Amino acid sequence: MRKNQSGYIIEGEIIIINRSLTKLDLFVKKFTDVLKKHSDYLIVSGFVSISTGRTRGTEDIDILVPIMDKDKFKNLFNDLQENNFWCYQGDTIDEVYSYIDSLTNIRFAQINEMFPNIEFIPINEARKAKYFEFTHPQKIKIKNFEFKIPPIEFEVLYKELILGDKKDLADAKHLRTFFSDILKEKKFKEYETIIRSELNENKKGSRLC
Amino acid sequence: MKIKKDLDYVELYAEKLKNNNNLFKQQKGIIESQLKSSSSLFKKTFKTKNFKVNARKYLRGIGLIQ
Repeated sequence: MRKNQSGYIIEGEIIIINRSLTKLDLFVKKFTDVLKKHSDYLIVSGFVSISTGRTRGTEDIDILVPIMDKDKFKNLFNDLQENNFWCYQGDTIDEVYSYIDSLTNIRFAQINEMFPNIEFIPINEARKAKYFEFTHPQKIKIKNFEFKIPPIEFEVLYKELILGDKKDLADAKHLRTFFSDILKEKKFKEYETIIRSELNENKKGSRLC
Repeated sequence: MKIKKDLDYVELYAEKLKNNNNLFKQQKGIIESQLKSSSSLFKKTFKTKNFKVNARKYLRGIGLIQ
């Protein structure tokens, strides 16, 4: 176990980040506290890096959520509205569920706020890389806020190979350095195959368009 | 470590953060300052009374919603 001044420690299967909560964490916690009553989820992308110490701004928090039927979504949507979230795409289930049904992302923010917002990303098994990370979560905890992220090696490779802009490469560098003591080469190799297959699918798709 | 490009700063900061969690205080300050500025800007721009209506008009304008 690392000493107390360390940026993180490992307890069992959980990565404990050794810091206090920010207002951004509290916003995400408030949303996931509602979401997890109705569905499983995975937080991906920028918040993974920021929550582990990367110093940069963000406007949206990306959360993968498995596609759900209309009744289940209705309960979640009503619960979010009761907890002072509003949806960019509409105020009624009929307006918003069509997005979910067609696997289109929607966004939620707190009443009278635009940012930060939650980018709610519906997924199904056809989105192979996303489904893989969703089904292989890594638990992470900051004080009393415990949430799920992809395996760090997967997140690093996704940022380097699929996203690849300046901000993503910097996020990947942060994760590679901060977690260098626990990252495993074997996992990088395993995940690279999955991510490259998504990359090839995307290339095929864009050629067909 | 010689700093030559932006990524070197990211690496150096992450390396130091690994063994010194006091640096998280600095990070918290920067993140919360951005949130405060953004919140205040949009509250002023859209006003509280018709916030959603005005916000959606803006979001359509920038193509974030249909």
